[in-house]
Amino acid sequence: MNENAIELKGVSKTFRDFWLRPTVKAVDGLDMTVRKGEVFGLLGPNGSGKSTTIKIILGLLTPSAGSVTLFGLPPKSVEARNRLGYLPELSYLHPFLTARETLMYYAGLCGLDRRVSRERTDELLDMIGLSDVAKRPVGGFSKGMARRVALASALVGRPELLILDEPTSGLDPVSTNEVKTLVKTLAKGGMTILTTSHLLADAGDMCDRVMILDRGKTAAEGWMDELGTSLEKFFLAKVGEGRDFKIAPFLLEAGGES
Amino acid sequence: MRKWTAIAFATVLETVSDPLALLLTASALTLAVLSPRLHYHQFGEPSRMAREAGLSAMLVFGLAYVVFGAVKAIRREIESGTIQMALSHPISRASFFTAKVAGVFASYMVFFITVFCASLAAVRGSEIGAEIASANGTLPLMWGPSFAFAFSALAVAPIVAAALNRFMGFRFVPTCAMCALAVSVASAFYRPDLALALRYLGAASALPFPAAVFVSVAGAAAARLKDHAAVSVSLFAILLSLPILGNYYLPNELTDGGSVSPGYLAMSFLAAMPLAAAALVAGVQLFKGRDMAE
Repeated sequence: MNENAIELKGVSKTFRDFWLRPTVKAVDGLDMTVRKGEVFGLLGPNGSGKSTTIKIILGLLTPSAGSVTLFGLPPKSVEARNRLGYLPELSYLHPFLTARETLMYYAGLCGLDRRVSRERTDELLDMIGLSDVAKRPVGGFSKGMARRVALASALVGRPELLILDEPTSGLDPVSTNEVKTLVKTLAKGGMTILTTSHLLADAGDMCDRVMILDRGKTAAEGWMDELGTSLEKFFLAKVGEGRDFKIAPFLLEAGGES
Repeated sequence: MRKWTAIAFATVLETVSDPLALLLTASALTLAVLSPRLHYHQFGEPSRMAREAGLSAMLVFGLAYVVFGAVKAIRREIESGTIQMALSHPISRASFFTAKVAGVFASYMVFFITVFCASLAAVRGSEIGAEIASANGTLPLMWGPSFAFAFSALAVAPIVAAALNRFMGFRFVPTCAMCALAVSVASAFYRPDLALALRYLGAASALPFPAAVFVSVAGAAAARLKDHAAVSVSLFAILLSLPILGNYYLPNELTDGGSVSPGYLAMSFLAAMPLAAAALVAGVQLFKGRDMAE
């Protein structure tokens, strides 16, 4: 029996232009394993390849080299995706659907029958605190409200593996805390969670194990309780050195003349 | 099947509500309904102008509807990122693609039935107008079903839709489209001339066949190319097939009480379906092979 929820071996991704000329190598020979039941944090600075890695895991991008499996299955297979939920970095929702219709739509995509879909939709709307605005189109929602709907959409199929790309992005401190509590609760229930975050404090609160990516390669990997320092110091030590802005000289000139 | 219908239904809602689809539908309706007013151009038959305008509107605006509808439906999913959410759920790319194309075609059928019924009302209006003219010596300014439809569709449908939106929470635009459909059907079949309706239906029935081909072609193009390139390729394909499409332009068959034979319709169907299926298969393959994040 496969004990790993996600397994990447030597995965690379090179983006190409229309003429198939390579433009950027976003992921370079990445090995990564996420075990069942753990909360795994994929961290790294902007452009380090976190989102590309997640999209490869989801089967949205095809790797240029290497292999990916979800529960031992290819990521594009329906069986594999029957077991996962995904919250993207931005809340990609159909603006013309209401919050209720959005959840019913994704419940439909999970193959749930109408009765179960309605029950889960009601429960999830209650959970994210949007029952009162369930009949409003999500196109008119604030970023935080849309984020909640997207999170509920990821959970409607009751996945075994939840992939969260910047889950607290756009949320106020109260909602951020609610999401962190939700992640911990789901993890206690046995759900495997892979998350990315720029907010190291959030990642530190949620994750059992982290991997730091830099320029598409693994810079560091370890258990949270073995870091021996705060996650922020660990992160900066691995990828933050020598990355200060070279301040434009005119900004350093005295006075404020234009 | 539930997964497939969920995507197709959402696509119908999205396409019917699209401003461009509304513009194309309104343009086709206007042309079909107001054509009887061009009563000086009868080509030897009282209702010929209305008939030709109606069938032309259904063909030309219908093809534009499916091309723009299919390209927008697929490209919007990719560019807005909603496809990432959808394909992280347990649905195959082939099912997703075919459901999107089917959704656009279903919304085209709403367009087709609405314009067909409006056009049928206009053809009847032309004939009634000609009878009045021959009895009185002058043409009436506006006449029966044509006027009733034009007024109802343009004024009553939005008012009913607004009321349903305000008091029952129905979506305005799709409700408006459904009201226009209901009004056009009611106009066409108010005191129906069944013989005329059947003859006209026979000719118009051939028009969804090229629409089925080009919705698949446009879907396949959108699976690989960006908006403008996909629309250009699809319109170029339509231009290339103009000699074949000529066979779908059938008003001559209706002259002097004539009709289109079922055999012709069967041949049209058999010619169009393999093309539509081939385009759909090509589209599925292109859609399966592409990266879904841009």
